[in-house]
Amino acid sequence: MSRIEIPTLQTERLTLCAPRPSDFEAWAAFRGGPRSTFVGGPFDRVQAFNQFCAVAGHWDMRGFGRWIVTETDSDTPVGLVGLFHPEDWPEPELAWTMFDGSEGKGYALEAARKVKSHAFDDLGWDRLVSFVSVNNTRSIALAERLGAQHTTGFEHPTFGELICFVHQPGGGA
Amino acid sequence: MGHRDIPVLETKRLVLRGPSADDYPNFKATFASYRSRFMGGPLTPYETWMLYAAEIGHWEIRGFGMWMIHDKATDEALGMAGGWQPAAWPEREIAWIIFPGKGGQGYGLEATDACRRYLYVEQGWDGAVSYLDPKDLASIRLAERLGCKRDDAAKTIDNNDSAYRHPVPGALKNSQLADGIALEIAHYADPAFKPEGWALD
Repeated sequence: MSRIEIPTLQTERLTLCAPRPSDFEAWAAFRGGPRSTFVGGPFDRVQAFNQFCAVAGHWDMRGFGRWIVTETDSDTPVGLVGLFHPEDWPEPELAWTMFDGSEGKGYALEAARKVKSHAFDDLGWDRLVSFVSVNNTRSIALAERLGAQHTTGFEHPTFGELICFVHQPGGGA
Repeated sequence: MGHRDIPVLETKRLVLRGPSADDYPNFKATFASYRSRFMGGPLTPYETWMLYAAEIGHWEIRGFGMWMIHDKATDEALGMAGGWQPAAWPEREIAWIIFPGKGGQGYGLEATDACRRYLYVEQGWDGAVSYLDPKDLASIRLAERLGCKRDDAAKTIDNNDSAYRHPVPGALKNSQLADGIALEIAHYADPAFKPEGWALD
């Protein structure tokens, strides 16, 4: 039986591709470090590995998912950005994570803009949100830079209180 | 990279296919139940979904993984079996889980025997272990029926489990062990001599 083909997306500086075994160490370093507290961490290597596999398997479960974001020139993995819809999530969301040392370069904004236009224009979605932890000031700032509107979120049993940002097609970014 | 085409394995009673979204409700019910207690469960709905996605994605990352076991006649999902190797696993594992109410019919033996043969013959594995909870008597019995021996010298995952070492490929060729496994599977399929009196998967 065939699994889904994960598309590749390009931006000016970045390539969004399927997760590769060689991307695992950058992922595990982020998931094991203090910056993962907003996403339920830190996690040990076994947990991080299963979560990494789940990034790939999400595509088969939903038909969409999250990409490893790499610097096109160096092929270095810098983050994970894409469309995320696990069980008990109210609706699919645009989600982003930058790996350690890859913040502050505008990569999250560049990749998130690309995925946002992919969702609205290529997939034809008419609604797209992002759920962000109330304490995650950097992600809140990014949602605002993307032009998203702040609305009431929900309380997740694992992730706590999440703000819901509603993205606007085309505008704002 | 990756493993886009998950092979389909057939045995006398079973078809083994890559796990798909359609089979998720069976997995979810299992990991919400006490049946999952030796596999890190029971889990929350979020954890269960992410673990199932990981079962599929493991094929992408490792190039092998767990198959969903189906009844060949009815297509009903009965459990999972295959190769499994998260980070920090000392060796490649052959793993299995039989869904609640589906034990005792030899499905675990028949499916795991087929998976092991595939991993040995088609993927060139030179051996494997199964990491078992010492309280998981059904799985220990299955490991022993598959010819595994407890290997106290082997590294385990976290010292709360035992490593059961599978016979190497050569020991399964034209051997009394291979004949015994085939005979037991045949007896489940045609139950004239069905074994009784112990916990079986």
